[in-house]
Amino acid sequence: MAVIAAHRPAVEEVVSGQGYWAIAWRRFKKHRAAMAGGIVILLFIAAAVFAAQLTPYEFDQINLYNRKAPPSSAHPMGTDELGHDVLTRILYAGRISLTVGFTAAFVSALFGMVVGGLSGYYGGWLDNVLMRFTDIMFSLPDLPILIIIARYIGGRVDGIIFVLSVFAWMGTARLVRGELLKLRTQDFAEAARATGASDTRILVRHLIPNSLAPVIVAATLTVGGAILSEAALSFLGIGIQPPTPSWGNMLQNAQDFIWTTPWLAIWPGAMIFLTVLCFNFLGDGLRDALDPRLKI
Amino acid sequence: MSRYLARRLLQMIPLVVGLSIVIFLLLAAAPGDPVDLLIFGNPNVKAEDISRLKRLYGLDQPLYVRYFKWLRAALHGDLGYSRIYKQPALSLMWWRIGNSLWLQIPAFVLALSVALPVGIYSAIRQYSPVDYAATLFVFFGVSIPAFWFGIMMIYLFAVWHPWTALPFLEWLKLPAGGFSTPGVPEGLARLLDRLRYMLLPTVVLSLLFMASFTRYTRSSMLEVVRQDYVRTARAKGLSETVVINKHALRNALIPLATVVALSIPALFAGAPLTETVFGWPGVGRLLVEATLGGDYAVAQGIIIFLSTLVIVFNLLADISYALLDPRIRYD
Repeated sequence: MAVIAAHRPAVEEVVSGQGYWAIAWRRFKKHRAAMAGGIVILLFIAAAVFAAQLTPYEFDQINLYNRKAPPSSAHPMGTDELGHDVLTRILYAGRISLTVGFTAAFVSALFGMVVGGLSGYYGGWLDNVLMRFTDIMFSLPDLPILIIIARYIGGRVDGIIFVLSVFAWMGTARLVRGELLKLRTQDFAEAARATGASDTRILVRHLIPNSLAPVIVAATLTVGGAILSEAALSFLGIGIQPPTPSWGNMLQNAQDFIWTTPWLAIWPGAMIFLTVLCFNFLGDGLRDALDPRLKI
Repeated sequence: MSRYLARRLLQMIPLVVGLSIVIFLLLAAAPGDPVDLLIFGNPNVKAEDISRLKRLYGLDQPLYVRYFKWLRAALHGDLGYSRIYKQPALSLMWWRIGNSLWLQIPAFVLALSVALPVGIYSAIRQYSPVDYAATLFVFFGVSIPAFWFGIMMIYLFAVWHPWTALPFLEWLKLPAGGFSTPGVPEGLARLLDRLRYMLLPTVVLSLLFMASFTRYTRSSMLEVVRQDYVRTARAKGLSETVVINKHALRNALIPLATVVALSIPALFAGAPLTETVFGWPGVGRLLVEATLGGDYAVAQGIIIFLSTLVIVFNLLADISYALLDPRIRYD
């Protein structure tokens, strides 16, 4: 879906003598939507990190004399039904969403690499067992199962991250397996084997680094997906629990007040939408930059 | 082909059994069994009552015995009894699936009828303004949280609806949620009433399908129009309509058929989020309620039914692929 970049490989790229990453960066810069997405994500990360410096309020500071106030200069996004400053809660909720998204993507990428690596390199019965397991995980309807497992976790952030990772590694595993099937018979892998390198060394030093492009792209898209899933669970009341703010639970709360204070529902949803959109743009740009033939 | 089919069908059995074990364990091991939930908050229940109840419901037996008992009953069409709704889980599930289909089928049809022409046009005129707009739409559609989009639609059409000031748009004020207005007589009036409740959730649901179908149609069409045989068709002087409709489109639709087949189980899964936002009594919302309320017979039945459906449609998708594309042979 590489329209936004409209990338057409030019001849000078091939003969320029630049390395793989330099070429990738040059291509990435041409993908305007991905650049914009990346910049917005960096801004959001900065806002989440410096939340305490950016706002004079605490996220759990209630003010019953100033409830459901419309946006004003003191409260740019208004206040909710307990007088919380909504902007403050949006910022702190961003910390949680981004942490959940990045960690879940990292953990699932790691797990997918291990499963896909073992499967693709060793083949045989191990490949069969691992891939059937991957099939089972793929065929589970994920949201319903997430809902069931989320009950065990009772709103803990690390638990949510774990659950989301459990349902996000399969794509990476299949991609890595496919790459390894291609790579392991190529000359450089044979050469490494001929020099007496161990299986682990061949895998870790030669094969995995060469199959990293699809992993990076899949992980970027997973960040957005995990943020969306966390918001969905919190919206259903089984994710992050109040008073800890999350975009999902803020939205759930806001739905009850849609008749009186509609702006409460606009901000958290817009933040989820914008963040996920930016990660999807970023993933698209990275795919075009790292490996345009990739189908993710 | 028949040997391949037989093998795939045989492989399905351990897959479904494995799934049912995992799901059974997940639910059976969850904190709070049905008896705990039953006596919760009742100080008059004595310890011997609890153990008597647990024995009565077979909860004192080891997990594997409980699993086999459940499996036997399930194979005889008995999924157990809903604790919350006080009726057999199976009939409850069917009724809710029926309700979900009221939304899902129109959403699916709407999505396909928009996605096909848009995806095709956007591939034929790659890099045109329409193509950019379609791509942007796809990105928006896959990134927007359905529950937020639903809430915004409720605000727009049920709360704010500024256009009702215009005389010819007075009717365009929709219910914020629910399934039907009580007391509407049978027949056409009830159908029209139902349509008003269906409109918003259908549009919200449809957007998700639409985005992913547009994306697949476009990329599949793009791949085909670059093929040599399309150039050959043009070179021999066929009109553009014939080239696109007879040569390109028919091949581009093959992968799309797979994608569509794979989305059919999702129709039966309902939409937990959209149904919750609009208070629609569908199967997705039933699953959320059953899980949160500890109604495990219902939750278990729904999930195993859905997973089996996914596995079956995976097989059907593979078969349809082979039937539509003679280059693909299974043996």
